[in-house]
Amino acid sequence: MAGIQRVDDLSRIKGYLPERIRKAVEKISPETASCLEELRINAGGPLNGVFSGFDRFITEEGFFTSLPDDALHVTREEVEDLFYRLCEHSLYAYQDEIARGFLTLKGGCRAGICGRVIYQGQTVRGMRDVSSVCIRISRELKGCAEEVFPFIRSGRYDIYNTMIISPPRCGKTTMLRDICRIISTGSEKADFAGLRTVVIDERSEIAACYRGIPQNDCGPRTDVLDGCRKPEGIEMALRGMSPAVIIMDELGTRQDAESIKMAWNAGTRIVATAHAYDTDDFKRRLGFDILTGENGFERYIVLGIHNGKRWVKVTDAYGNRLYGTDQACRVHDGVYGMHCHRNGAVGKAESQAACTSEA
Amino acid sequence: MGLSARLKARQLALRKLKDIILFMENEICVLGRPLNKVFEELAKGSYGGVWRPVFERSGSMLKEQSMDAGTAWRIALGEAAVSLPLAGEDMDILRDFGELLGKSDRQMQQAVLDMEKEKIAAMELKAKEAAETNGKLYRNLGALLGAALVILLI
Repeated sequence: MAGIQRVDDLSRIKGYLPERIRKAVEKISPETASCLEELRINAGGPLNGVFSGFDRFITEEGFFTSLPDDALHVTREEVEDLFYRLCEHSLYAYQDEIARGFLTLKGGCRAGICGRVIYQGQTVRGMRDVSSVCIRISRELKGCAEEVFPFIRSGRYDIYNTMIISPPRCGKTTMLRDICRIISTGSEKADFAGLRTVVIDERSEIAACYRGIPQNDCGPRTDVLDGCRKPEGIEMALRGMSPAVIIMDELGTRQDAESIKMAWNAGTRIVATAHAYDTDDFKRRLGFDILTGENGFERYIVLGIHNGKRWVKVTDAYGNRLYGTDQACRVHDGVYGMHCHRNGAVGKAESQAACTSEA
Repeated sequence: MGLSARLKARQLALRKLKDIILFMENEICVLGRPLNKVFEELAKGSYGGVWRPVFERSGSMLKEQSMDAGTAWRIALGEAAVSLPLAGEDMDILRDFGELLGKSDRQMQQAVLDMEKEKIAAMELKAKEAAETNGKLYRNLGALLGAALVILLI
């Protein structure tokens, strides 16, 4: 996996952080910072850093501790300041995003917000008294799908309808994004010509558009429908963009499933993700039965974590295993998603935490 | 700049600010562009007029994300105070101009800008009255002094 290129950097979010939090984050070692997945900031609470499968509180000196009392405690004013900074001091410019509960930041990171929700009739109009912010640090991992890609291509000019499934936080979106990039760009290695691709990015996580510009590389033949619901997005894409492939994240409703059927009828390939533990679990989920079997998805990429190690397998529609890395054949550190240097830096973070705890 | 000309300039500056608010109304309430972009736009072209340095400075401070619009505006206005043809009372009122900008949704921003428009209209009216009464006085005074000087020289 020498070709994998990590595109992430905490400096993308530092500009948004209030001074005290920024100083603490700047003191985190670069190796540890590169493993940080989320920064959780609650008014009156300790600053919390989330890694793969565990979290630690962050002290003013940038160390990690399991004791909340030792951590940097964020004030209400700091959360408010952070919120205004995230909105570029222009709440009105982000009011639609605020009503959806998250903001996409320049650089592709995402900030989830919690506070008092304001309704207008039945719809959420906005939020006030913001009490907590969760900054999710997006990881673009170019090349992470190269090993699985040959198993989902169906000749030089076509791919199989593919479903990526895993429990939350196992790297589905990262994998999907890289598959999108390869489909759109083409791959000499996999003998694949690039195809016209449309990304329906309902939660702005795949392309992470910031003011209309994708912050992540989704390939040169990719058009992005940002913030668009999947059923409408499929219809709009089919009508206007004539895509060969449609990419979408986190299928969840029967309506999504029916829209996919519609896209298949139009001859478009679909690559999508869904929360499930395995293919059987996926088939049992409400509404997804119509997407399985002979006329359903042709390839399944299943991702998971076991004992802190990531694994991936590719199966066909009948469950026959085509490719797999598992406990016997572990994926290299740094391959799948946000967990490179797990043994190194995070271990160090844990030992730092241990030291701090003892202190 | 003569006293009478300064009174005229004050009136024109306030009228310009009223136009700027109309521009901001469109950018903020209709297009939903963030404040730093709006200020940047006003600093770029000739639209800003005498207010250009104020928007340039406050826009750059906002872009750096170091402060909110109210603080940035206050600092920029303070720095440009000498070059602006405004009276002390105008400055007192304008100091709070940016205070509520960017802190609410579009609907509320509209209300904020409407309120500012009304304030500036009242200031403009005062400036107009001052230009008419004091301006005339200054002009006549100038003419009298000129005449006195000529008599003295003869």
